[in-house]
Amino acid sequence: MDAGMDMDIDAARDRLVAAVLTHVPFDGWGNAALDRAAADCDMAAETARALFPGGARDLINWHSRWADRRMMAQLDADGLEEMRIRDRIAHAVMTRFEQNAGDREAVRSALSFLALPRNAALAAELLYRTVDDIWFACGDRSTDWNFYSKRGLLAGVYSSTLIVWLDDRSEGFEETRGFLDRRIGNVMAIPKITKRARKVGAVATFVPRRLKAFRTFWPARATRG
Amino acid sequence: MTDVKDMTERTKKAVDARPGPDNAGPKYLPGDPGVRGGVRGDARGRAKDDIAAMIRVDQAGEFGAQRIYAGQISVLGKGPRGDILRHMQEQEQHHLDSFNAILTARRVRPTILTPFWHWAGYALGAGTAMMGEKAAMACTVAIEETIDDHYRQQHDALPESEAELKDTIERFRQEELEHRDIGLEHGAEGAPAYPVLYGAIKRASKLAIWLSERF
Repeated sequence: MDAGMDMDIDAARDRLVAAVLTHVPFDGWGNAALDRAAADCDMAAETARALFPGGARDLINWHSRWADRRMMAQLDADGLEEMRIRDRIAHAVMTRFEQNAGDREAVRSALSFLALPRNAALAAELLYRTVDDIWFACGDRSTDWNFYSKRGLLAGVYSSTLIVWLDDRSEGFEETRGFLDRRIGNVMAIPKITKRARKVGAVATFVPRRLKAFRTFWPARATRG
Repeated sequence: MTDVKDMTERTKKAVDARPGPDNAGPKYLPGDPGVRGGVRGDARGRAKDDIAAMIRVDQAGEFGAQRIYAGQISVLGKGPRGDILRHMQEQEQHHLDSFNAILTARRVRPTILTPFWHWAGYALGAGTAMMGEKAAMACTVAIEETIDDHYRQQHDALPESEAELKDTIERFRQEELEHRDIGLEHGAEGAPAYPVLYGAIKRASKLAIWLSERF
């Protein structure tokens, strides 16, 4: 297997998924829509099915990753360095929504598929991939627990905003944008809350800190230190 | 967007040759969307996962090592061996910075256990240091020896295409060996219950490696 061939196969998958989107609102995610998409692409149905052996699962998986890639390409072109972090995040999320504005019915259908308990693992993976890409594009390079707290918080913001976006009839998704800004605002308030919690926590660490005073009596220090 | 005529012949052959519903064979092949290993998913995807685990565990290890020295310095920092400990901590900090850079450049996730290593590393360092200077050195010897083994294994397992990473690991391994020798020079073997302490810490660091690779 060489890179050139993989690229061909991936490009063919991209085209098939793009074609599938027009059929999903009628046929749902699955082989029926895939067969029609294959016909649109002048491709044998068997070839198309060979490219997506898992049917709906694989199509939805590929569609989500394809959307992520398009979002990343756009964000790369936009250049986010000048913006504040919260604006970068909002911009990234809105970019992804705007790029898929025409396919909301397909996304809705994918969400109901992903909501089934047996698809929970796939749903979690795709959500993680998306928020991970957004944070990376926004310049996050954390190497500790922040890596997870950032992604966890964004996962909550992103998935709730996604639901609002699905039914947003406002001009230019104004409603979604406002909702998103308020959710990010909620998240930004968290450090203030934890600061207050830390003050309470300081009382709890008072006793261990006092114990430090006894260190001078340890033989390690008395005899060798 | 309406045709795939530019799909090369080779691609078509590969697609046609895959096992169908009638003939036996795996449903999924490397490169399929459902296969773990990322969007580029291919045979290389799996190897990439392994390398990601290596980088993750190395970053976690250097983080832990840095914390252990911080714990030891909190107790012995003002003693006669303070400067040696600070020197070793500086080197570990440099290792950690390097692995942090590799981690983010390759988009490898850090271990989820970071908060735990933060605490456990410091506790181990401070705990052994309270048992005495020799016990602290025994802790260093046990840990650096485990890391030496671990880096050696990684060095052998990495493919030639990862020459740069291999070099980095080899260079760090040499420095970890230096630390072990410093530990031995300063009477690690004279620590109280040395074999027990040594064995326990070695086992604990192996467990930490196992955990950090996976989580």
